Amino acid sequence: MSAPPNPTGVTGRRVAALAEGWRVYRADRGGLFGLAVLLLVVGLALLAPVLTRSEGLDVTRVRGEPLRPPSATNWLGTDESGRSVLLLTWWGARMSLLVGLSAAALSMVIGTVVGLLAAHFGGWVATLLLRVTDFFLVLPALVLAIALSTVLSRGVFTIVLAIGVTSWPQTARLVRAQTLTVETRPYIERARALGGGHRHLLGKHVLPAVLPLVFATTTLTVASAIIAESTLSFLGLGDPSMISWGSMLKSAMDTGAVTAGAWWYLLPPGLGIAIVVLSFTLCGRALETVLNPRLRGTRR
Amino acid sequence: MITVGVRSSGARRAAPRALLLILTLLLAALVPAFGKHEPATAADSPNGGGVTLRVGIQQEFDSLNPFLGFSLASTDVFRLIYPTLTTYSAEDFSVVPELATDWKSSEDKLTWTFHIRRGVHWSDGRPVTAHDVAYTFKRMMNDPAAATANGNYVDNFSSVTAPDDRTVVIRTESPQATMRSIAAPIVPRHVWSRIDNVAEFANQRMPVVGSGPFVATEYRPQQYLTLRANEDFWRGAPTVDRLRFVNFENSDAAVQALRKGEIDVVRDLTPTQFDALRGTDDIRRVRGKGRRFFEIVLNPGAANSAGDPIGTGHPALRDARVRRAIDRAIDRERLVERVLGGYGTVGAGYLPPIFEDYYWTPPPEARRPFSIEAANRALNEAGYPRGPDGVRRGPSGRALDFEFVLHGDSPTDALVGKFVKEWLSRLGIRVRPQPVSDNQVNQRTTAGDFDMVVSGWSVNPDPDYVLRLQTCGARPKPGGGGLPDSFLCDRRYDELYAQQLAEFDHSRRVDLIRKAQRRFHRMATGLILFYPNTLEAYRSDRFAGFERQPSEGGVITAQQGYWGYYGARPTEQARTASGGAGYRSAAFVVVGVLLLGAIVVVSVAARRRRTAEHRE
Repeated sequence: MSAPPNPTGVTGRRVAALAEGWRVYRADRGGLFGLAVLLLVVGLALLAPVLTRSEGLDVTRVRGEPLRPPSATNWLGTDESGRSVLLLTWWGARMSLLVGLSAAALSMVIGTVVGLLAAHFGGWVATLLLRVTDFFLVLPALVLAIALSTVLSRGVFTIVLAIGVTSWPQTARLVRAQTLTVETRPYIERARALGGGHRHLLGKHVLPAVLPLVFATTTLTVASAIIAESTLSFLGLGDPSMISWGSMLKSAMDTGAVTAGAWWYLLPPGLGIAIVVLSFTLCGRALETVLNPRLRGTRR
Repeated sequence: MITVGVRSSGARRAAPRALLLILTLLLAALVPAFGKHEPATAADSPNGGGVTLRVGIQQEFDSLNPFLGFSLASTDVFRLIYPTLTTYSAEDFSVVPELATDWKSSEDKLTWTFHIRRGVHWSDGRPVTAHDVAYTFKRMMNDPAAATANGNYVDNFSSVTAPDDRTVVIRTESPQATMRSIAAPIVPRHVWSRIDNVAEFANQRMPVVGSGPFVATEYRPQQYLTLRANEDFWRGAPTVDRLRFVNFENSDAAVQALRKGEIDVVRDLTPTQFDALRGTDDIRRVRGKGRRFFEIVLNPGAANSAGDPIGTGHPALRDARVRRAIDRAIDRERLVERVLGGYGTVGAGYLPPIFEDYYWTPPPEARRPFSIEAANRALNEAGYPRGPDGVRRGPSGRALDFEFVLHGDSPTDALVGKFVKEWLSRLGIRVRPQPVSDNQVNQRTTAGDFDMVVSGWSVNPDPDYVLRLQTCGARPKPGGGGLPDSFLCDRRYDELYAQQLAEFDHSRRVDLIRKAQRRFHRMATGLILFYPNTLEAYRSDRFAGFERQPSEGGVITAQQGYWGYYGARPTEQARTASGGAGYRSAAFVVVGVLLLGAIVVVSVAARRRRTAEHRE
């Protein structure tokens, strides 16, 4: 946000609002837990190149025996090429998080823009945009994502695109609803009366008011985007030269790890997905509570 | 799954109901999934007992129409239900009589006369005559749709006639050494002459009129195909009463079914599964020499049959020195050890070692052993210096950056892609693996739109078919069509190919075929990496053994013939007992536990919500 003209007024109010928000968030134990886990996972994922050596991922250099159970040298056993499953899970987190966050960001941008424009302009613009939204809403998202990633050349970007363009309609609907409420408030009317253009209204007043909700929604979208990425990779639509949790599960299934009873190959990526998705959901829920006071009463 | 993200505040109260709905849906989805396998269990005691040989397959039947189907699953069935003129023996792949009792060729090798066996009948009672044979071949010559699967056999035919019920006379345009091994299925004229449009005909009216050791009687697409023994088969009735191919979505499911005793034979095991089955009670494993080679094609400058360049091949790969340097940077022994788990043979020549006669390995002076240093030196000498980013540049200044097209569904391709990418990066060559669907692999190969692509063919006992793939004649027509492999199109290779096709002396033909392989190896357009073994397993409590082809280290299923299924030896237990039905009961237990769990979860959740509301 740009530098406010009146430091004490606006900034002070925002700092106070943030502090109040943090107080409410802190009260949610689940949210705190989710945040802690996320910070840990993201930190480890970012530090992977520092803490580990990527040579262990190079199939031509590893010397480990294929599909060995956990041992002192390989804490989580090895995969079909003799690589450490711990190392793969560690590096896989980077790809899963990257795709999840990028797809959620893409979905957030599309959804927010569509929602804002539809609510602000109304009329035929809204009709058009909302029909498009409805169209994407009724399409089974996973099927559409599969179709997209089949048609486009494989790669990380394709996966992000496939998930991003299929998961925005909910955000659009939500943002539109929130925008409609915000726009009825007196200060918007005042800004309009003072001659504020569309850009000024949307950029300076409506968007800041809608953004917190968008962030809460996006946090939840990240969770489903990670699941979607794993699903697509598991179905073999990802980029197999990239290591992600979904592609690990696919390799495990393809090589017959189930028959071989190689639980150490299946559990780490599976648990990784479960924990990260749970953490994002907990954070998102806690954020919702912060933004929506009505939710607080019914919770213990 | 993508849509779970947003949950508005109002939906919160509906959560228990949603949970219940989800669980119900989940259960509903599970029940038919288990039910789907019921037919296979029911096969233990169907229509009148007897022994059923149940084979788990992971490939679907692309078509039951013998003029159209060319997948391994379908051709395996055609060999069981339709006759062929000749077949390959189980012992050593030698050509033996089948529908034709004997044959002779004219002096100029252009006219071939086949005598048809007496007393062979179609499954509807009509006799099999020379007119059926002539009709089948003529249809393939005159109807382009009927030439889809086996058109290569009749390409060179000029006429086919049946002077009487027992004689077929085939004239060819030029001498053809493969005349004794025409593997095209023969169909009954009185059925197929009524079919106007072959391309649209699914041939799924059961029972299918045929004349092999088995008759197809029941087909459920994507589930199973059942065949009954043909008691009147001229060689004698098969040893089992029924044969059933059961479709499985993935190989792990097939292996579990084998463990439960739900199927008797499973094929296409991964090395991991094969190892995991070691020492399992009542399961015997079969490691057979494969008929397949696995190669990487380097685009040598693709061109169509008119000689016009097509596709997007990298110019550096037109230089044989670059192709040979790449070959030296691939450690085949490590690939066999790591990708195949040791179940395969290191490649070099073209034809797999299962065909001992034609198998060729390069002599010491022609070998290109793995050496990154030597490969780097060769590229330096050839004039491909490294750029500032470490990637080599060609004479035109273009970086050596190759697209490597892979089959997206194949774990072998994915692994090979990883290895090759790493090795070539040490040569200063960047490789970008591009996994695509099988169809796209075929399209891009035919169009020449690749730098490197994974390819591989199952080789027939007569290698003519795969040898032809590397000739100029195999290049695609300007209007589309054609089935090229590496776009080699080398004058010397084509001469050797033509000579072997017209050579009827076996040892001289073998010599020519080895020379052709040597030329192919020298040109290095296709790098043969390995010949994978075929890994199978069967229930030894129900079957004592199978006829393998070849008898030394051969396979049970998908042979060049019907021997494995025809000569299966059921045990006393298989003849009397009904076999394992444990799978279905296990399914019920699982469903029951899930149901119980769901009820508990839902009731607890509902209770909590209720009390939470009361506490307000």
